[in-house]
Amino acid sequence: MEATIAVTGLRKRFGSKLALDGMTFIVRPGQVTGFVGPNGAGKSTTMRVILGLDAPDQGSALISGQPYPRLRRPLSHIGAMLDAAALQPGRTARNHLLWLAHSQGLSGKRVDEVIEQAGLATAARRKAGGFSLGMRQRLGIAAAMLGDPPVLMFDEPFNGMDPEGIVWMRGYLRALAAQGRAVLVSSHLMSELQDAADQLIVAGRGKVIADTSVAELIAAASGDRVTLRTTAGPAAMKVLTRIGATVAVTGSDTLSVTGLASDQVVAQLSEAGVRFSEISAHRATLEEAYMELTRDAVEYRAAFVTEAVR
Amino acid sequence: MTITAYRPPQQTGRESFAQSLHAEWTKFSTLRGWAIAVVIAAVLIDVVAVLAPRGDTQCGSGSGAACLAHVPTGPGGEAVNDSYYLASQPLAGNGSITVRVTSLTGMIAQNGGFQGPDSPPPGTMSPGLVPWAKAGIIITDGTRPGAAYAAMMVTGSHGVRMQYDYTSDIAGLSGAAPRWLRLTRDGDVITGYDSADGTHWTEVGQVQLADAGAVAGAVQAGMFATSPLDFTPNFPTYGESGGSTSNSVATGTFDNVGLRGGAPGGRWAGQYVGAGADSNGPQPAGIGFRETGGSAFTVTGSGDIGPVVAGMANSGYDTGTIADHLLGVFIALLIMVVIAAMFITVEYRRGLIRTTLAASPRRGRLLAAKAVVIGAVTFMLGSAAVAVAVIVGGNIAHDSGMYVLPVSWLTQARVILGTGAMLALASVLALSIGTMLRRSVVTVAAVIVAIVLPYILGVSGVLPASAAEWVLRVTPAAGFAIEQSVPQYQQVVGHYGPPDYFPLAPWAGLAVLCLYAAAGFGLAGWLLRRRDA
Amino acid sequence: MTGALRAEWTKLRTDNGTAWILAAICILTVAVGAATAAVTRCGSGGGCAVDPTKVSLTGIEVGQAVVAVLAVLVISGEYSTGMIRVTMTATPRRWMVLAAKAAVLTGLVLAAAVAAVAGSLAAGRLLLAGNGVTVAHAITGPVIRAAAGSVLYLALIGLLALGVATIVRDSAAATGAVLGILYVPPAIALFLGSDPAWQRWVERYTPVNAGLAILNTTGLHDLVISPWAGLGVLAAWAAVALLAAGALLRLRDA
Repeated sequence: MEATIAVTGLRKRFGSKLALDGMTFIVRPGQVTGFVGPNGAGKSTTMRVILGLDAPDQGSALISGQPYPRLRRPLSHIGAMLDAAALQPGRTARNHLLWLAHSQGLSGKRVDEVIEQAGLATAARRKAGGFSLGMRQRLGIAAAMLGDPPVLMFDEPFNGMDPEGIVWMRGYLRALAAQGRAVLVSSHLMSELQDAADQLIVAGRGKVIADTSVAELIAAASGDRVTLRTTAGPAAMKVLTRIGATVAVTGSDTLSVTGLASDQVVAQLSEAGVRFSEISAHRATLEEAYMELTRDAVEYRAAFVTEAVR
Repeated sequence: MTITAYRPPQQTGRESFAQSLHAEWTKFSTLRGWAIAVVIAAVLIDVVAVLAPRGDTQCGSGSGAACLAHVPTGPGGEAVNDSYYLASQPLAGNGSITVRVTSLTGMIAQNGGFQGPDSPPPGTMSPGLVPWAKAGIIITDGTRPGAAYAAMMVTGSHGVRMQYDYTSDIAGLSGAAPRWLRLTRDGDVITGYDSADGTHWTEVGQVQLADAGAVAGAVQAGMFATSPLDFTPNFPTYGESGGSTSNSVATGTFDNVGLRGGAPGGRWAGQYVGAGADSNGPQPAGIGFRETGGSAFTVTGSGDIGPVVAGMANSGYDTGTIADHLLGVFIALLIMVVIAAMFITVEYRRGLIRTTLAASPRRGRLLAAKAVVIGAVTFMLGSAAVAVAVIVGGNIAHDSGMYVLPVSWLTQARVILGTGAMLALASVLALSIGTMLRRSVVTVAAVIVAIVLPYILGVSGVLPASAAEWVLRVTPAAGFAIEQSVPQYQQVVGHYGPPDYFPLAPWAGLAVLCLYAAAGFGLAGWLLRRRDA
Repeated sequence: MTGALRAEWTKLRTDNGTAWILAAICILTVAVGAATAAVTRCGSGGGCAVDPTKVSLTGIEVGQAVVAVLAVLVISGEYSTGMIRVTMTATPRRWMVLAAKAAVLTGLVLAAAVAAVAGSLAAGRLLLAGNGVTVAHAITGPVIRAAAGSVLYLALIGLLALGVATIVRDSAAATGAVLGILYVPPAIALFLGSDPAWQRWVERYTPVNAGLAILNTTGLHDLVISPWAGLGVLAAWAAVALLAAGALLRLRDA
C-alpha cells in the first residue's frame, strides 16, 4: 500500500463548537504537503484524529490504508511531532527518545542515529527542561524519525526556530519528500511554506477550502501584475489592451498591467516599438493568495484594517 | 516526475506487550526523582523498624534480653501459657476419666496491674469468676511445658468446653455446674464427652495427640483448675492497647471421680504445672488440691492453658508480633501511592500523554504496562524492606527483652510477600485513580484520602471502635490485614486491635484491596479508551 | 494591597473548581461526622464516656485534607502553569502576593468551615441522641469553644498548607508533603507507646494532634495539652511555614 494519509469526511464536535465539518484530503508521497488555515480551522484536531488520539464523530482517517489503532509499531508507519514542549523536564533528551524507542522494539543504537541526524548530539544527555525552543523542536523531529516512517506529520515545526534553524528545517523537509516519504506540515509561516511545500491544503471552519499545488494557487490568485514605466503611456495602453490585458494608470509615467506575463509585455511593446524604461513583475505571494481564499473563513479577526496590498 | 514511494525495511514481529513494558520501565527508571523516592519509601520501613522505641524490659536480673521469659510453645509452634494445678495419676494405656463438676468459684485480685517477678504479692482477693476460668479433667502428655493435651472443662461464663492443644476450643452442652465430664483415651485418640445426668453422654470432640505416650509413663490423667489473668482494657477506642490485668484463682469441686486404666491402687498426686508468660510472679495463695472425702476433690489453680495473645491481656508483660516491626509501612505506602499517581498524571500535565498514546495506541495494554512496572517495583522493594524489618526488628526486640510471638516460616513469608503485594496493589489503585482524574493535585489528595487515611483513622483511636473496625473492613486499608501473623482466639480474652490484629482475616483483607485495585483498573482502562487524549 | 487582594479574590472566584472544593469540604466533614455519630453508642457500664461534640466533629480529620488541597491549588497551580510570573509582574512586592492569597484563602475556608461545623454538630446531635447517648440540650461554653475552635482550626490548616505549598512549589509533591505533615505524626504517636516522653512530645507539638485538642468538651484534665494551647501550637506551625514561604518567595527566581 502506498504511503499516504487519507482523511475522509471527518466530523467532530467539542461541546457546542463544531471543530471538524467534513474534512477530506489525501497526502501523497514524494512531496511536501502544507496544511494551512486560520486559527480554529481544525488543523490540530485533524492531526490528533489521524493519530487516533481523538475519536471523530463521523468519518475516517487512514494511514497507508489502515486506521491508526490497527497499526503494528505505529511509529514505523507514521512519525508525528504535535507539541514539541511535551517533555518531562527531569528526563534527558536521550532518555526521552529511549523510552519511545523501546515502545517500538527499537534499541538505543537507533536513538543515537536519530540524535545525530537531528543535530542534537551535544545536548543529548542534558535534561529536557533546560532546552531552548529550537532544541525542543529538533528533539521532536528526532522522535518523529525514530521509526524511519514513510509518512510524517509536523504541527508548526518552524515555531521558535532561529533563521538558521528555519533554513535547515526547510531543507530537511524537502529531503524527506525527495526520499519518497509523504510529509504533512501545518504552519502559519506562508513564506516558509511557499518555498518548502509542493501541495497545499487550505482549511477553514472545519473543512477543506482548497487542495491544489502551490503554483496553481498562486497563479489563480489575482495578484499577478506587471508594473511598466514608460513615457509613451497611451501608446503602450493601446498595444496591450488590444491583446486583452487590463491596463491601469498608476502614476504620471507608470502603468499597471494585469493578465499578461512580463515577458509577453516586453515582446509586445518591442514589436510595436513602444519604448519603456522599467518593467517589473510582481508575483502574488502565497500569503496574498491565502488571505484572499480564507477571507470568509477567518474566525478571529482583529479590528485593524489589513495592510493594503502594494 | 514520479518518485517511487519510500519503503522502509520491513519490520518483522508483532508489537507485543513486552515492548510497552520496556518503554514504561525506561520511563520510570530514567526519572531519577521517582526511583529515589520509591527507594527512600522502602528504606523508611526499615528506619522506623530500627528507630521505633522499645522500652527496655526491666527485671530482677538486669534488663533487656536477660529478662526474656522462656515461653513454651505448643505442638503447633505457637507461644502458649501452660500453667494450672493438676491432681493426676499416670495413665499407662487406654482408659478414661470421668468426673462430675459440682461447682466452679473464683477470686480476683483487686490491686490491678500485672504481676511481674518483683511485684509485691497480690493484694486482697475478692470473689469473682473471670469469663474463662477453667476447671475439669485433662489427659496430658506429661507435665513439661507445652505438652499436648486434651481437656473437658466447665468455664466461668462459657459453659462446658473441650479444649486441646492450646488453640482448639469446642463448645459442649451449655450450662453451669453440676455437669458430668469424661475423657477416654484409645491409643493416640482422646475423646471428650459431656452429660447432664451422668447417663446420657454426648460426644463433644475427638483429637489425636501425636506421640502420646512416647515417653513411657508420661501420660497423666486427672483433674485440673486454672484461671487466667483478668484483663480490663483501659481505653474504649480501638487503637489503644493498654489495659490492666489482675491475678485470679478458680476452685473447682469434683465428685464421682472415676479413673479407668490407671495403675491399681494409684493415688492422686497434685502439682502446680507452671510455665508461661503469665507466671513470672509468685503464686496466689490457696493453690492446691484437697481430697474432701469419698471420691470428691477440690482443686484450686491459677494461670491459663491456652495461646498467648499479643498485648498484655494474658501475659505478664507486653508481647508483640512481627507486625510491630512494620509500623513504618504506612509511610512507605504514602510515598509509593503518590509516585504511582504521578506516573500517569505528569504525562497529562505536560501533554506527554499524546506522544505516549501515539506510540502505544492499544490503550488497555499501555495502562497494563504501567501497572505492571509500578506494581513490580513497589512489590520488590516493599517485600525486601519488610523482610529486613522483620529480621532486624526481631533482633532489636530480643535485645530489649520484648517477646515477639513466634510464627512459622511460611507465615513470615506470607507477611513479607503479602505486605509487598499490598503496597503493589495500592500503587495500582493509585495509578488507576490518576488515570481517571488526570489532574495531579486532586489525584494525590484523592489517593491519600482513599488509601492511606482510612488506615490512619482506623488505627489511631480517633474513631470509636465500631467505626474503626468498619473502616478497616471496607476501605482499601483492609489490605493491612495481611500483616496479622497470629490468629484471634475466641477462648482468650484480649485486646484484638491493630497493629497486631485486624478485623478481617489476612487473605480476606488483601482480597478487599485487590477488588478495589481491579475495579479501579478496569474503570480507568475503560475511560482511557473512550476519552480523547 | 487592595489590588492584590482583589486580584486573588477574582482568581479564586472565577475558577470553576473552587466552588466544588468548598462544597466538598462541607459535605465530607458533615458526612464523616454523621457516619461516626451513627455508629457511636455509650460503652457498657454506667456513665457515658462519649464526648458528643468531639464525635460529631470527627469529620474535620477528613475535611482538612480538602482544605489542604485548596491551599495547594491556590499557589502550586500558578507555578505549574507559569502564571506565577504574570502574578509577580503585576504585584512585584512578593510578600503582598502571599499575604493576599492567605487572606482570600482564609476567608473562603472560614465560610466553608462554619457551614461544615454547624452541619456536623446538628447531624451529630441528632444521630447520637437517637443512639441513646446523652446529649446536653443547652449549648454550653465548651461546645461553643469546640465549634469556634474547629472553624479556626480549619483556617489554620489552610494557612499551614499554603506555606508548605509555596515552599515546595511542585503541585503533586506539595500535596504529598502537606498531607504527610498532617497525617503521619498522629499515626506515629500511636506507635511510640513504649517511649512516653516522645509520645507526649508528638501529641503536644505536632500540628494535627495539638490542634484537635480544641474538639474536646469533656475529660479536659486528661488531655495532653489544653484546647487553646493546642490551637496555639498549630498557629505557630502555620506562622513558621508562612514566614519561611515568604522569605523563599523573595529570594528565589519566580
